[in-house]
Amino acid sequence: MKNRQKLGVFFTAFTAFQVNVYAATVTGKIAFEGRAPAAETIKMDADASCKLAHPDGAKSEEAVVNSNGTLKNVFVYVKEGVSGKFDAPKESVKFDQHGCQYTPRVLGIQVGQPLEILNSDPTLHNVHSLATKTQQFNLGMPIQGMKLKKTFTAPEIMVKVKCEVHPWMAGYIGVLDHPFFSATGGDGSFSINNLPPGEYVVEAWHEKYGTQTQKVSVAADGDVKELSFQYKAA
Amino acid sequence: MNRLVHSYSKFLSAVTLVLIIAGGLVTSTESGLSVPDWPLSYGQFFPPMVGGIRFEHTHRLIAGIVGILTFVLLGLLLKNEGRGWVKCLGAAAALAVVLQAILGGLTVIYLLPTPVSVAHACLGQTFFSLVVSLVLFTSKEWATAPKIASENSESLKRLLATTFFFVCLQLIAGSVVRHAHGRTLNLHALLAFLIAIHVLFILVRILRDADLQPLVNHVLLLTGLVTLQVFSGGGAYLLTLVIEKAAYPRTSEVLITTAHQSIGAVILATTLLLMLRSFRLLKPTELRTSHE
Repeated sequence: MKNRQKLGVFFTAFTAFQVNVYAATVTGKIAFEGRAPAAETIKMDADASCKLAHPDGAKSEEAVVNSNGTLKNVFVYVKEGVSGKFDAPKESVKFDQHGCQYTPRVLGIQVGQPLEILNSDPTLHNVHSLATKTQQFNLGMPIQGMKLKKTFTAPEIMVKVKCEVHPWMAGYIGVLDHPFFSATGGDGSFSINNLPPGEYVVEAWHEKYGTQTQKVSVAADGDVKELSFQYKAA
Repeated sequence: MNRLVHSYSKFLSAVTLVLIIAGGLVTSTESGLSVPDWPLSYGQFFPPMVGGIRFEHTHRLIAGIVGILTFVLLGLLLKNEGRGWVKCLGAAAALAVVLQAILGGLTVIYLLPTPVSVAHACLGQTFFSLVVSLVLFTSKEWATAPKIASENSESLKRLLATTFFFVCLQLIAGSVVRHAHGRTLNLHALLAFLIAIHVLFILVRILRDADLQPLVNHVLLLTGLVTLQVFSGGGAYLLTLVIEKAAYPRTSEVLITTAHQSIGAVILATTLLLMLRSFRLLKPTELRTSHE
């Protein structure tokens, strides 16, 4: 076997070993107890194209309770216990302005990872980051299909992003120096993958209902731990 | 006295008040950064007037008009006014309007830093008071009205000067409350109390003194404005700092906070005018005796 081939076999074996070692997963759901809050109706009369995108009327996404009794738009991440350095992925995280609302409303990104901001609307938006640990920005996006890229230089939970043209638009970005985070969607579930073995503090963050933390310990051999967070109606 | 300059100053005062209301709407609707560039708007003179841009760009357009009108006023003063100090006030107004435009640009470029936003708010109202004072300085009353002898003249002047000082402090405190999310609220409330008490004393003093009849309407206006301001302040406090925030500013919140800020500007100008008029018109009783 030539040296180059030997190196290839070694690299593959090492990578497989690494994946196996980092294969622990923390998963779960964000339950919501109590009566779901009535979503505030958003008047989009200020911009005809926004109104046109929501013929049946738009609702605030500040607190969305899914049909299975779980909470949408909760950011779940490892708050404490992670050690080591994690390179930022090259691929962008997409953050779209669609129907005069942010899609997704809550997302996570690594420090240095590109955030691709899109304007899918036939109207103009400004994108204003209210970061406190990274320099803020306020960018005009007047053309449909326009894309911009930005990065964050420091971890921050959470960076609020807003549009002053359409004041109901708000988005939240969790910026971390590791890849162990997740955000709940329409089924209220989250999954944090490839965790190294160890003990961690996991935090769930919601823009209206605040934060909750839990401790979890994961082993190396494909361990899957389930966490359950429960928010209550205010 | 030049009637053209006087009438023009009145006109500019009215347009400036409209500008202050427009600026208030920008803050209350949180539209200040809806246009991220300056001096152009999305690289254009006239961007699409949608959402928050309607407030921000309208404010910029009115500001541009006020800027031009102020330089016209300066030209009129230089041509028609004989008093050097009045010309200087015109030049100060022109300087203020330029500085105000720069501060407005800085608020956009540096994303509403509190000190710049507060300075922009305070300078706007100071400019308004300056233009309003030019209305008085170019008026017939200022040029020809006879002195009024009153035994209360000196104490009233002191009272008015103190009140004006408190109103100036209130302008700063109110701007900080508005642009720093409720900071200095206690000082704002304390100053409101002090101003209300002082205005009440001024009202009583003027109403009780028959010699001060020419100032009655003025002090009644000031009292009415302060009363209105106390109620609008209470409403603004409830809607912005007590009741839970909505997804975006409610119409009631926008209207009451803008009204509170604009009435504040009118109170500042009204207090200044009353103070200036008292210093111009009033003299102690003993002077009347010596002349007679």
